[in-house]
Amino acid sequence: MIRLPSLPVLALLGLLLIGFAALPAFAGPYEVKFATRVLATAVFVLGLDLLIGVTGLVSFGHAAWFGLGAYAVWFVTPPDWEAANLPLALLAAVALPGVVAAVVGLFAVRTRAFYFIMVTLAASQMIFAFFHDTRVAGGSDGASIDVKPALEIAGRTVLDLSNRNALLWLAVAALALAYVFVLTLARSRFGRVLQGLKANETRMNALGFDGAKYKWASFVIAAMVAGLGGAIYASIDGFVPPEILGWRESGLAIMMVVLGGVGSLWGAILGALVYALAEEILKSSDLVGAAISDHWPIAMGVLLIAAVLGAPKGLAGWLPERRARPWSPPADAETSTAAAAPSRPPRLEVDGLRRTFGGLTAVDGVAVAFEPARIHAVIGPNGAGKTTFTNLLSGALPVSGGTIRLDGVDVTALSAPAKARRGIGRSFQRTNVLPGFTVAENCELSAQARGFAGASRAEEARAVAHALAATGLVDRADRTAASLSHGEQRQLEIAMLIASGAKLLILDEPLAGSGPEETARLTALLKDLAVDHTILIIEHDMDAVFACADTVSVLVGGRLLAHGAPDEIRRDAAVREAYLGRFAGLEDAA
Amino acid sequence: MDLVLVQIFNGIQYGFLIFLAASGLTLVFGILGVINLAHGSFYMLGAYLALSLTEATGDVFLACLLGIPLAAVFGWAIERLFIRRLYGRDHLQQVLLTFALILIFNEVQRMLWGNYPHSVPAPTWLSGSIRLTDTLAYPIYRLALTVICAALAAAMFFVIRKTGVGRLIRAGESNREMTELLGFDANRLYGLVFAAGVALAALAGMLAAPVESVYPGIGERILIISFVVVVIGGIGSLEGAFLGALAIGVADALGKVFLPDFAGVLVYALMATVLVVRPAGLFGRTIR
Repeated sequence: MIRLPSLPVLALLGLLLIGFAALPAFAGPYEVKFATRVLATAVFVLGLDLLIGVTGLVSFGHAAWFGLGAYAVWFVTPPDWEAANLPLALLAAVALPGVVAAVVGLFAVRTRAFYFIMVTLAASQMIFAFFHDTRVAGGSDGASIDVKPALEIAGRTVLDLSNRNALLWLAVAALALAYVFVLTLARSRFGRVLQGLKANETRMNALGFDGAKYKWASFVIAAMVAGLGGAIYASIDGFVPPEILGWRESGLAIMMVVLGGVGSLWGAILGALVYALAEEILKSSDLVGAAISDHWPIAMGVLLIAAVLGAPKGLAGWLPERRARPWSPPADAETSTAAAAPSRPPRLEVDGLRRTFGGLTAVDGVAVAFEPARIHAVIGPNGAGKTTFTNLLSGALPVSGGTIRLDGVDVTALSAPAKARRGIGRSFQRTNVLPGFTVAENCELSAQARGFAGASRAEEARAVAHALAATGLVDRADRTAASLSHGEQRQLEIAMLIASGAKLLILDEPLAGSGPEETARLTALLKDLAVDHTILIIEHDMDAVFACADTVSVLVGGRLLAHGAPDEIRRDAAVREAYLGRFAGLEDAA
Repeated sequence: MDLVLVQIFNGIQYGFLIFLAASGLTLVFGILGVINLAHGSFYMLGAYLALSLTEATGDVFLACLLGIPLAAVFGWAIERLFIRRLYGRDHLQQVLLTFALILIFNEVQRMLWGNYPHSVPAPTWLSGSIRLTDTLAYPIYRLALTVICAALAAAMFFVIRKTGVGRLIRAGESNREMTELLGFDANRLYGLVFAAGVALAALAGMLAAPVESVYPGIGERILIISFVVVVIGGIGSLEGAFLGALAIGVADALGKVFLPDFAGVLVYALMATVLVVRPAGLFGRTIR
C-alpha cells in the first residue's frame, strides 16, 4: 500500500519546493522559466503516476489532458479582453480535460493491459489530429495566448501571470497542492480500492467493488490533475503548440514516472526534475563538451537504458520508505465479534442452470437447492463443470439459461460485483489474494466492502479483527500476503471473505495443496463458519468432504448426477459407477 | 470513380507495406512478450539503407537484396544487446528502454544522413505507368510493389502454417514456458524472431522508399500505424494484422480524398470502433 513519505523524503521535497520558490532571488529569467516548466511537467507526471502507479493503468495518451488544459486557457482568454480571469482559466483547464476524459474513459476502462495503452494512445492522437488539422485553435501553427490570466480582488491585481515570478510561485503552490491531493487520494478508502485493482482486479470484483467505475473515476481525476499542469505550461510562453498533445509527450511522461519510481508519487516529481536537468546538462556544450552536446539524444538514451537496467525501481528505490504501522486490533474486538458476523445466512437455489461454450455444454440444466447454515460439497471428476458452476453462481461468467435465486430473489443476471454486494463471496481455484498488501490490509480492504451494506468504520475494524482471529492469522497480520505459505494464503482468502461480510461462501478447492494438518485446521474452520454462513465447497479431497459436508452434490458431464446427505451419496449406485476407480477415498468410505 | 479506384489500389499497396512492418511487431509482442517502440526505427533504417544502397548499386531491388541481411544482423545484435534483458520484465520498463533506443537511433540517423528529405528513384525498367482503363493510368512500380508484398505475405503465412520453424513460432506464441520446457532453445528462437521482424520492417522501408520521400520522422509514423494494426487484429495474430493492415490502408487512402479534414482521425476511430465491439481485437485472445 502507498504510505506517507519517510522523513528524508519529506525533507528533500521541502527543500526542493523552497529552492524553486527562492529561485528568482539568485537566478535569471531563463532559469525561472526552466523551473516553471519543470513544475508544470511535474504536476502533469504526478497525474500520470496516479493512473500508472496507483490504479495500474498505463496510459499512453496522458499528454492529451495536459494539452487540453493548456488549450482551455486559450479558450477562456479571448484577445479583446484586458485581463483574463485566473480562477476561470484554472477551472477551465481542469474541467475541459475532465469532461473529455470522462467520455474517453467510458470506452478505455473496458479494455485491459496492452489494449488500454493503445486505446488511450488512439484517443490522444485523435485529439491531436483535431487541434492540428482543423483551425479551431490555430491549427498546426499553435495557439497564442495574448492575455495571460490574472487574479483581481476588489479592483486590485493580486496575481498576474505575465509576471514571471508570480507564475513560478503559482506553479510551486500548484505542485505542492497536487502532491498533497494525489497522496491523500491514494491513501483514502477510494485510493485503497484503486491500489487493490492494480494488485488484483478479479479479486476486487469478487469482493463487490465495481472495478470499471473506480478505474473510470481515477482516469478522470488523473486527467484533471494533468490539466492543471497544462494551464501553468500555457502561461509560461503564452503559446500552445499542438505537439504537446501528441504521443511523444505522453511517452516522455511515462519515462519520467518510471525514472522516478512507479507508485511512489513523489518519485514522479523527482523524475520530471531529473529528466529535465539531464536534458539541460547534456545540451550544454560548456558542461559536457561539444562532442556530447551536439548529439545529446544519444547520451540521454544511454542514460535511460542505464536507468532501466541498473535501477528498475527508479529513483524512489534509493530513498528509504516509511515503515508500515503495525496492525492492532480495535479495543472492543473481543466483546463484539458477534456484531461482525453476518446476521442470517441465505438459501441458494438454482434451476435449469446451463452454460455453453460454443458447442460444449459445460453446465447442463442443474437444479438444486442449498439450505442455509450448512456445508454443501460439490464433487465430480475433472471436467465435470464444477468450476464453471461456481463461476456462474458468483457472476464471473454469464449464464446461458436457468435461474439463480438467493433467498428467493432472482440474482441470475447480476454482475460479479453486484452479486458480491448481495453477500455471495468466493475464493478461487488458484490462490487469489493481493500479494503486495499485508495480511491485515487484505482484510481491511475486504471489510471495506461492508460499507455497501452500510457498516460503520468501527464495524469494519471489528470484522477485520474477527476474520484474522477466526482464521488464526493474527500473528501474521503485518506480513505481506506474498510472503505467506500456500496454506496460509488459502486461509487468508477465507479471512477476506469473512471480513467482507459475505453470507454465502463459495470455495473452489480450498484444501488443494494443503498438508494433513492444514486440512484439519481448515475443515474445523469451515465447521465453525457454517454456524452463520452458507458454505459451498468444490473439493477433490473426499475424506475431507465426507467428514465435514452436510450435503454432497455430484456433477458429471455438466449434469447433476445426485444430491443428498453424504451417506446417501456413498451408497448411490450411479455415483459409484461414475467414480469407480477414480477416488480411492470414496471406495474406502463405502 | 477513377479516383476511388486509384485510392483503393494505393490503399491496398499501403496496407501491404504496413502489414510487413506490423507483422514483425505482432510476432515480437506475441512471442517475446516485448512492447517494442523502436520497431519504427527499423522501418526508417530500411528507408535510409535503400537511399544509400540505391546510390551505390543503382537499383532499389539490388539495394533490398543487400539490405535485408544487413538489417537482420542488426536486429539480431539489438536483441542480443538490449531486448534480451527485457524478457519477463514489466511492460513499463520495455517501453522506457525501447523509447531510449528511438532517441539513439534518431540521432544516429541525423548524424549519418542529415535532416533533409531525400527521394529514391524507382528502377528505370519499372518506371512509367500502365493504362488500366481509357482514363486511368497507374504507376508500374506501385503495382510491382503490391505484387511483391503479396508474395511475401503468402510466403510468411506458408512458413508460419506449414514449416517446422513456423510450428515452433506458433507454439512459442501460444505458450512460451511450455515451449521452453519441451527443450527448444528459446534464446535462439527469440533471436531469430526478432531479427526476422527487424528485416521485415526494414524491407517495408526499403520498398516504400521510391513511393514516398525518405525523411527523419518516417519511422514514427509507421510505428503508430503498426500499433493500431496490431491492436485491431489482436495481439500476436498474423491473420489479424493482415486484415487490419489492409483495412487501415484502404480507410486511410479513401479518407484522404473524401474526408480530408478527418483523415488523421479516421484510422484511430476505426481502431476505437473495433475495440468497443471486440475489446481484444479481431483475432485476439484475452491476455494477462
